Amino acid sequence: MTNEITLTIDNIEVTVPQGTLIVEAAKKIGKEIPVFCYHGKLEPVGMCRMCLVEVGTPVIDQTTKQPTLDAHGKPIIRFAPKPVTACTTPVSPGMAVKVDSEAALADRKAVLEFLLTSHPLDCPVCDKGGECPLQDLTTRHAAGTSRFDYEDKQHFPKKYPLGDLIVLDMERCIICTRCVRFQNEIAHDPVLAIEERGRHAHIVSYSKPKFNSHYSGNTADICPVGALTTRDFRFGARSWELTNVPTVCNHCGVGCNMVLGTRHGEIKRVMPRQNELVNEIWLCDKGRFGHHFNGSPQRLTKPLVRDGEEFVETSWDEALKMIAENFASIKETNGAAAMGGIAGAHLSNEDLYLFQKFFREVIETHNLDHRVGLSAMLEDDTAYTVGVGVGTNLGQVGKETAILVVGSDLDQEAPILYLRVAAASFKRGAHLINAGGRRTKLDAQAKVTLRYRYGTAPYLAWGLVSAVVKQGLAKDLQGFPLNEDDFGGLPDYSATKVAAITGISVAEIEATAKAFASAPNGIVLFGLEAGHDPSLRAALETLVLITGHAGKPNNGIIAVLPQANSRGAADMGILPHRLPGYVPIASGGGLSAQEMLADGSPIKTMLIAGADPAVESETYRNTLSNLDFLVVQDLFLTETAKLASVVLPAKSVAERDGTFTNLERRVQAFEVGLPLAKGEAWADWLIIASIARHMGADWGYASADGVMAEITQLVPLYRYMKFENLVAPTALERKTAHYIYEGLSFTAEVREGLQWPTLAEDKTAKVPFRFIPPAEIQNPKPNLILVAPRVLYDDGRLLAESEVVKNHLVKPMVWLSRADAAKLGIADGEQVTMSRHGVAVTVPVQIHRLLNEGVAVLPRNLAGRLAEQLVGAGVYAEVEIQPVRN
Amino acid sequence: MLKQIINESKEIAKGMGVTFKRLYEQPISNQFPDEPVAVYPRFRGRHVLKRHDNGLERCIGCALCAAACPTECIYVEAAENTDADRHSPGERYAKVYDINMLRCIFCGYCAEACPTEAIVLEHDFALARYSRWDSIYTKEMLLQPHEPKYIVIRDDSVFVEAHSWAR
Repeated sequence: MTNEITLTIDNIEVTVPQGTLIVEAAKKIGKEIPVFCYHGKLEPVGMCRMCLVEVGTPVIDQTTKQPTLDAHGKPIIRFAPKPVTACTTPVSPGMAVKVDSEAALADRKAVLEFLLTSHPLDCPVCDKGGECPLQDLTTRHAAGTSRFDYEDKQHFPKKYPLGDLIVLDMERCIICTRCVRFQNEIAHDPVLAIEERGRHAHIVSYSKPKFNSHYSGNTADICPVGALTTRDFRFGARSWELTNVPTVCNHCGVGCNMVLGTRHGEIKRVMPRQNELVNEIWLCDKGRFGHHFNGSPQRLTKPLVRDGEEFVETSWDEALKMIAENFASIKETNGAAAMGGIAGAHLSNEDLYLFQKFFREVIETHNLDHRVGLSAMLEDDTAYTVGVGVGTNLGQVGKETAILVVGSDLDQEAPILYLRVAAASFKRGAHLINAGGRRTKLDAQAKVTLRYRYGTAPYLAWGLVSAVVKQGLAKDLQGFPLNEDDFGGLPDYSATKVAAITGISVAEIEATAKAFASAPNGIVLFGLEAGHDPSLRAALETLVLITGHAGKPNNGIIAVLPQANSRGAADMGILPHRLPGYVPIASGGGLSAQEMLADGSPIKTMLIAGADPAVESETYRNTLSNLDFLVVQDLFLTETAKLASVVLPAKSVAERDGTFTNLERRVQAFEVGLPLAKGEAWADWLIIASIARHMGADWGYASADGVMAEITQLVPLYRYMKFENLVAPTALERKTAHYIYEGLSFTAEVREGLQWPTLAEDKTAKVPFRFIPPAEIQNPKPNLILVAPRVLYDDGRLLAESEVVKNHLVKPMVWLSRADAAKLGIADGEQVTMSRHGVAVTVPVQIHRLLNEGVAVLPRNLAGRLAEQLVGAGVYAEVEIQPVRN
Repeated sequence: MLKQIINESKEIAKGMGVTFKRLYEQPISNQFPDEPVAVYPRFRGRHVLKRHDNGLERCIGCALCAAACPTECIYVEAAENTDADRHSPGERYAKVYDINMLRCIFCGYCAEACPTEAIVLEHDFALARYSRWDSIYTKEMLLQPHEPKYIVIRDDSVFVEAHSWAR
């Protein structure tokens, strides 16, 4: 191949692709060139000079243009007079590199001596001690003595809070700028900078609040010294004392791989675990610092039984017996139709499988659901039909890929997905189209931004379908009903009509359709704010099917699901109308969560596992408090649990094992990090199996592994998902890119999890086209639309237990555009009353300079649940707004 | 026959001679604990945590002693000094510092690893206890200056002279 280059490093020949840097080429033959500022995920800068090597190139004869040969017939190499940084120099043909020559070793020694001139050498008290590249390389390469005066060190304040979560010790810093570059290139929050120069150079953050980023914890990971450390782990333990347990994050649907650093039954820190297909080597601050719920003193420790207004502690046996008796008697008197269950989407696949098995086999009802809270609008089977193909890697897609994001603020909803989508566009040139009703952080990295009016996303999607067909760009129209009568009138969604409805210009719609259809690969992501409209999903499915962007790697749809196992909940059939594996129920199924919790519901008794519907609305609370018998299993005494007849303590995610299925349908296993559970807590699957046993079912599961074994046999989608397959380490080539483990005291084996294939990947099956007309637009020119998006730091129960992020929790306030604020004549911080259908809430205003006119934002799931009162289970609604005048 | 008797009597007299010779010597056994035991200055006995001259603890809770310990008998938990609650100079101190003396083999690696010379193996060897739990020495116990009356430090000049060891 022409673009392969052969060179020699310390007389070992190596062939690498053109453009490879010398550091990487050396890594390929197992030769280590020490680095500090170089990081495989960041642009090289050559700041630290640690990687100095001798580099020579062959002497080229000017007449023949061929290398000049010596007496032995070997090309003569001319070495550069000065050493060269291996991290910024790309390889060239015939190049000779000396890594371990005397001069190179002397350079390394000198650079280390220089870097240590102002290093405090306080390794014994430094949190990085034991896993510090500077420490490692000093013991490996440095002279051991210094010609500089120890007393003549530059002094900076110790324990300087760079942000709320990150502590800076500037004395330790060697100005490698990895943190600054990470914030600029990867997190796209350019909040760090270097101020001053020479020995006075130091890291600063001038954002408000300081170090305002969701990804700040990563800078502490990649810091090659102990300059940046997290407040959470400060003096928590020495790195070699930790037991590192591989686990999966349970805060959002991305399913980031993590390592729990535990010591004596306590989680001391959470570190990312490399998985290039999911989180690469990054972790958002919610995942990293939101682990404190595991060890919270508020956790339930014993089964509680209601005695009048109070709860009394009881034994498991008593509690289970009581539940079984009550369930049996209610089933006998009122029938199974009066019983129902709600399971939260952050339970593991094993819990959810047994939950539905319990209801369908033991109780004999289909009244079960997971769609409450953030998952309320979700009924997503797009992943089953046209989800992204197996082998999709957002970390690799580039120029040949078009990515369409519809109605999602990825930075808040799924932060690590944001990093990957942003990098695909920013670093590798993917054609990123961000369609949304308001400005989100991703706009800055998008090639095209489409701003539609709220509620018109389905029109836009059908408009794109129509434009693709009209421009003749459709690749696969087999079975596509072009006829107007068959397809409910696709011409109604011509670009002109859609432009009038959505507020996006005709040219933009046509150009977007063309760009998406003509790209070799196409990925669609849609999120909470698109409205989870069945029409939108049908339109997006049609779009990827007719453009041929389905059923292969790097093509298809990703639904940005809210919870750790939202995908698994749908897979496991926690839906009233579907069995596990998306098998429809012939009889039509049972009641959905909203029907079960509505006023006048026929439900008399419920089992609620890991969900808190009572906090969402007064109606739900009333229904729940009027039940004859309510069983709740949870970590905490939630609002719902307070209404229960029996409360059962469940094990937290760190105390047990199981599997989560992420939003790309990747099933990943997590292991037991804390073998001793809080109090007498049981794993959710065990609780459900025990209730079933007390009701006469003979199941006999002994472990989560065993439950999964049954799932592999009964659910075809999961047939390869045995624990032993999920925890198997990945192939060797992928593991060589272990940037994160350089210097760290642990190396966790890379496991990539397993994806199940979609229907579109099955060549024998044909995904049917469906057409669902979008809902009528009630008021095409609304005065003010209130949007209730999800924010990262919301008032979820699990996050609230982390003291360290308390200041980051979003306080209830409504963001208004400048224009709207001016119209109302109100200033920042003043109160407004918003009302809809007779419900009124009063909140302070924050004027948001980048928000578009006519849109107000009040995040959902905040303290007081104000947004939910106004918009209900939806995401946006038209509201009236009045300033509060004193 | 007679010759044999004489020879054997000689041997008995020789043996008894040793006995009678020692009979009038001072005994070298020691009436412990009434009488002190003399140990060499470098004898490694029970640990003591030292303080600076200003009263602050020398220990910074770095846990290098625990890392060096071959029997894992040291347990350290660190915490942060504040101006209101200062235990040691600098940022960090040991909140918990326990040594399980039943496990300790008195190798002295902890003292060698200590960057602040906070932990020192001193001379007490009488560590028998009635309960196993009493053998876990907490930080408070280790911080007490510990010079029991039943131990005196012996002069090690004999070694210094014989092997020209510097003190």
